[in-house]
Amino acid sequence: MRDEERVRVVTPFPLTGEQKDIISAKLSRIIPKPFTIEEEVDPSLIGGVVILWGELLIDCSVKTQLERLRERILREEGFSHGDHQ
Amino acid sequence: MIRVDRSIIFQIVNFVALVLLLFRFLFKPVVKALDARSSHIRGELERIEEEKRSLEEERKKLEEELRNLKTKYLEMLDQANREAQRIKETIIQEAYREAEKIKRDYERRAQREIERIFTELREDIVDIAEEVVKKILKTQITPEVQTQIIEDMLEEAVRRIEAEMEIAHEG
Repeated sequence: MRDEERVRVVTPFPLTGEQKDIISAKLSRIIPKPFTIEEEVDPSLIGGVVILWGELLIDCSVKTQLERLRERILREEGFSHGDHQ
Repeated sequence: MIRVDRSIIFQIVNFVALVLLLFRFLFKPVVKALDARSSHIRGELERIEEEKRSLEEERKKLEEELRNLKTKYLEMLDQANREAQRIKETIIQEAYREAEKIKRDYERRAQREIERIFTELREDIVDIAEEVVKKILKTQITPEVQTQIIEDMLEEAVRRIEAEMEIAHEG
């Protein structure tokens, strides 16, 4: 057990068995050692998943996607009135 | 024979004597006094004439001075008018420049205010849209959809990490 890597998996809802299998299968491609998943629920994520393994952060949450979309919209020049002086 | 009365002769002699006396003691002083008076009057007339000429010269001189002063006054007036015109134009130009500067400042401030309002409005719209989208997504993300999201997004992320790892390994 001590040699196993610990991977934190944050989701808005508790993981189903299928979801856990999908995550394990995909993470095994990049984590060469055996690992265990530590689940955590954060409803503010809305959807998707956030994975933390050591210093690696994989943010696939809908919340972050919306935030990125928001930033892109606010940066969009076509949406802006100014910047023509 | 003509008879001459003595008294007549006597009267003639008296008359001649009287004339001689008058000539001697009255006529001569009178003529002399008249000459002196005449000479005095001539002198006075000459003096008056001289004074008249002098006054005429003085008058001409004063008229010349008056003309010069008038010319100088007109020149000064003209110069003052030109200076006033120049000052007026300078003041008008400065006023125009100042007005233009104030106008530009106001335009810039108005532009900044419009931009600020648009930015706030844009942020408000995006905030509202984000909240609406979140609410909709919360009702739309079923376990199946969540599974699909994990499948798709995690696959993309893992592929990216694999690619990075491959590059690092090759390096």
